[in-house]
Amino acid sequence: MPRRYRWLVPYLFLIPGGLWLLAFFVVPMLVMASVSLQTGSLGTGYALTWNFGVYPEMIQQWAPQFARSLFYAIVVTVLTVAIGYPMAYTIAFRGGRYKNVLLLLVILPFFTAYIIRTLAWKLILADNGFVLGSLKDFGILDDAFRLIATPVAVISGLTYNFLPFMVLPLYVALEKIDPRLIEAATDLYASRLQAFLRVTLPLSMPGVFAGSLLTFIPAIGDFINSEILGSRDTTMIGQVIQRLFLNNNAYPEAAALGFMLMAAVLGLIFVYARAVGADELTRG
Amino acid sequence: MTAVTAPARTPAGIEPPPERRPPLGARLASLVLPVFTGLAVFYLFLPIAVMIVFSFNDPSGRQNITWQGFTFQNYLDIWGRPDITGPMVNAIVVAVAATLIATILGTLIGIALTRYDFRGRNGLNLLIFIPMATPEIIMGASLLSLFVSFGVQRDLTTIIIAHVMFNISYVVVTVRARIAGFNRSLEEAAMDLGADEWQTFRRVTFPLIFPGILAAALLAFALSIDDYVITSFVAGRSITFPLWVFGVSRLGVPPEVNVLGTLIFLVAIAFIAVQIWSQRRSIRAPATP
Amino acid sequence: MADQTDLERAIERAFRPRRRLSRRMFLRQSGRGIVIAGSALSLPAILAACGIDPGASPSAGGASQAALPSAPAGLLDFANWPAYIDIDEETGGYPTLDKFTEESGIEVTYTEAINDNEEFFGTIQPDLAAGNPPGYDIIVMTDWMIEKMIRLGYLSELDHSKIPNFDANALDLYKDPWYDPGNVHSMAWQSGITGIGYNPTLTGRPITTFDDLLDEEFAGRVGMFSEMRDTMSLTLLSLGINPEEASVEQATQAKDKLLEAAQRGQFRNFYGNDYYDELANGNLALTIAWSGDVSQMKLYDNPDVEFVVPESGGMLWIDNMAIPNGAAHPLDAHLMMDFWYNLENAVPLTEYVGYFSPVSGVTERVLEDADAAEAEGDTEWAEALRVISATANPTDEVLANVHNYRKLTEDEESQWNDLFNEVVAG
Repeated sequence: MPRRYRWLVPYLFLIPGGLWLLAFFVVPMLVMASVSLQTGSLGTGYALTWNFGVYPEMIQQWAPQFARSLFYAIVVTVLTVAIGYPMAYTIAFRGGRYKNVLLLLVILPFFTAYIIRTLAWKLILADNGFVLGSLKDFGILDDAFRLIATPVAVISGLTYNFLPFMVLPLYVALEKIDPRLIEAATDLYASRLQAFLRVTLPLSMPGVFAGSLLTFIPAIGDFINSEILGSRDTTMIGQVIQRLFLNNNAYPEAAALGFMLMAAVLGLIFVYARAVGADELTRG
Repeated sequence: MTAVTAPARTPAGIEPPPERRPPLGARLASLVLPVFTGLAVFYLFLPIAVMIVFSFNDPSGRQNITWQGFTFQNYLDIWGRPDITGPMVNAIVVAVAATLIATILGTLIGIALTRYDFRGRNGLNLLIFIPMATPEIIMGASLLSLFVSFGVQRDLTTIIIAHVMFNISYVVVTVRARIAGFNRSLEEAAMDLGADEWQTFRRVTFPLIFPGILAAALLAFALSIDDYVITSFVAGRSITFPLWVFGVSRLGVPPEVNVLGTLIFLVAIAFIAVQIWSQRRSIRAPATP
Repeated sequence: MADQTDLERAIERAFRPRRRLSRRMFLRQSGRGIVIAGSALSLPAILAACGIDPGASPSAGGASQAALPSAPAGLLDFANWPAYIDIDEETGGYPTLDKFTEESGIEVTYTEAINDNEEFFGTIQPDLAAGNPPGYDIIVMTDWMIEKMIRLGYLSELDHSKIPNFDANALDLYKDPWYDPGNVHSMAWQSGITGIGYNPTLTGRPITTFDDLLDEEFAGRVGMFSEMRDTMSLTLLSLGINPEEASVEQATQAKDKLLEAAQRGQFRNFYGNDYYDELANGNLALTIAWSGDVSQMKLYDNPDVEFVVPESGGMLWIDNMAIPNGAAHPLDAHLMMDFWYNLENAVPLTEYVGYFSPVSGVTERVLEDADAAEAEGDTEWAEALRVISATANPTDEVLANVHNYRKLTEDEESQWNDLFNEVVAG
């Protein structure tokens, strides 16, 4: 390609995708932003009143659900790291020839529909299903014990559903680590634990970061797990937005809540990125 | 108590030093990880197993939660039910189309972002990233608004458009990770050896980043075939598999849902098996000179 | 010890099948499903609000009453709830629809597109608001949603000269209803009752009234509906307030009563149609429920369950056929709607579906069919028919203790929704 057109190249690459996002993401979002500032109803029509007051109003009204969603999402993220890191580590360092197979095994369950998996958990965790039922028959559990319609079930469901999103990026990061670095550490008299803590773990942080994002973000806005496995006391902000939007036709309020969720998530990610030292957001 | 392994035969007949087997504690410790991973995989497959088992159930009532009898009938009946196979076909069509488009668009962006410096880079980063942080319900509703206001009929096309939109970000992120770790010196070597940019790309760069692209495509496919929220907003009268499942499962999951879920799962397994088998073959096949 | 009335026992025995009922033959009602499809504000409306004229009709969806065409188009798009029409079990076809096609020459595309009132409303609202064709000619919605759609101007007016069977054969109860005076926009399809379903082996005693649902003895094993109108109305009744005339202050009292119970963990959860599973598998000892569901459950999933109309009062719901604005084949729609009010067609429908029929004379005909079946030696079917006949048309006894929903204005709806949201979202 002639030198003088070189500068065009990145833009050429960007334009198709960029335009798509512009047309089908940015524009609709601007419309929704406008909706959030409107007042009115289906019957009387909506008018753009620049009603910024809807934002504090929504925060105040739904703060508990926001807080709860945040809490659940953090717990879920921590759990997925706790479960996913050893898995990814084993596959990356001990997988040998079977690395790809194992990885595919991890993703495989996720070729079924989200709802089917969650409903299956409802069956597994059922009050008198084959798990709890047996435990109750043996007297290990009290008859009145239940998991469904508790926060435990919701968090379990969320953890399960987002585990692969943690394992995959972790695996990618761990797999890229040059094993000779670890060898070098042990050659220098580091114990295996030390080698892990001081070489492997820091090098895998980008994977931890990516995995956390991929888990935290959908988890905080999820409503399906709480709907199926939870109760009124586990209501998450996603369910509130759903209800406002679809049952109550309260579009401005729902849009406002949605944007606030977005803003909260972005803010948290920014803080997290700084803490973890990952500059992936601000750099390419 | 250590045992001495039989010395390996070496060409010069010199025996290597006897190996000491590691102490029991260390051996157990080294088992921890694989066992844990095995359990974790079991955990991952538990709901799938439940789904498969209950696809053979023969419930008399509305509920499909207690085992009432084994039957193959569900599998046979499925094919005569266009109201079931239709959504499945739709979901696949949408997923394939969306994956292709999103992977291409996303890979291009990924390459541009990692390789080149240009103005507006930060803005683009943000643009890529924000859709991933947006609640699906907001994205879905806003798209619906857009389509309705332009009088666009909502059907499979609009679903594909929506899916491409949210997939691009994931593709970019996945591909970027791979490209970033890519060793530029290989490209430089190729160019030093006389290849022009396009040749270098085609024969050096692309094959090496291909695993990343494939991973991104897989991710996009999985996201697309599983999407409920956004799809429900932009589907109009067409139905994809997740939409259909939601609809019928309100009063309990009928066996048909499990049957379809199992079939999809089997197809995925078959696909993976083929992949592994072809990998093994290419390893064993002698390298062409 | 309060006995069930004959009616309630009859309702429970209502659905002995001729053939094994397929699992799809459950009866649906309004209620919030697990998740719901989308609806949104149309851009023209927004633009109009900003003072920019988009050239399309504003969101109030003005009803354009074009005159009916002189001849039917020969096509019809009918959207309904699942298992709400008679099906031939073996072929999967719809016998009465086929009969209609034979008689009128109109091809019917029947889709079970409706799973939830608000969800379905969400899918067609943007088009109706923007003035686009909605894609369906006949839809079946529950009374309160019909009222809402009329209020928003989304339904076409019916030309009663094209539906003489309705005027001739409909029961008085279904003529001139609260939600559609004069039946300007809708005609009843089937109707039923919202009451309480419970499992006496789990509750340990018969359940008679709404306050039993709040009895601490059953804490954590009680179900409520996530649908606002049913739950609030039943609660109002338990406070001695007539839901049809309840003010916002009274609704607030109902909210307080529910909230108090919810906060002390009385309710396992607020359910949509998924309450069925929970009651059947014993997770719930008692719950708000629909009459037909409990009968089904008793036959197939859990023989212990019972249905009762609360002493404090139950709610009567009526599902209706209506023609959305801009429907492509309105005359064909009229012809079909009229068809269902012919006794010959209303009878097989009710024999299959089993809820209250709005057409007079169904009870007698069902009994005749029962006798005929008996004569042919099909005693099982004959017995089933006899039981169905007891609930084919609503009797005074039934109607004594059931009430209608309140006709909420938009403002009231919004306020009631806000109140109920406090209860439902912890």
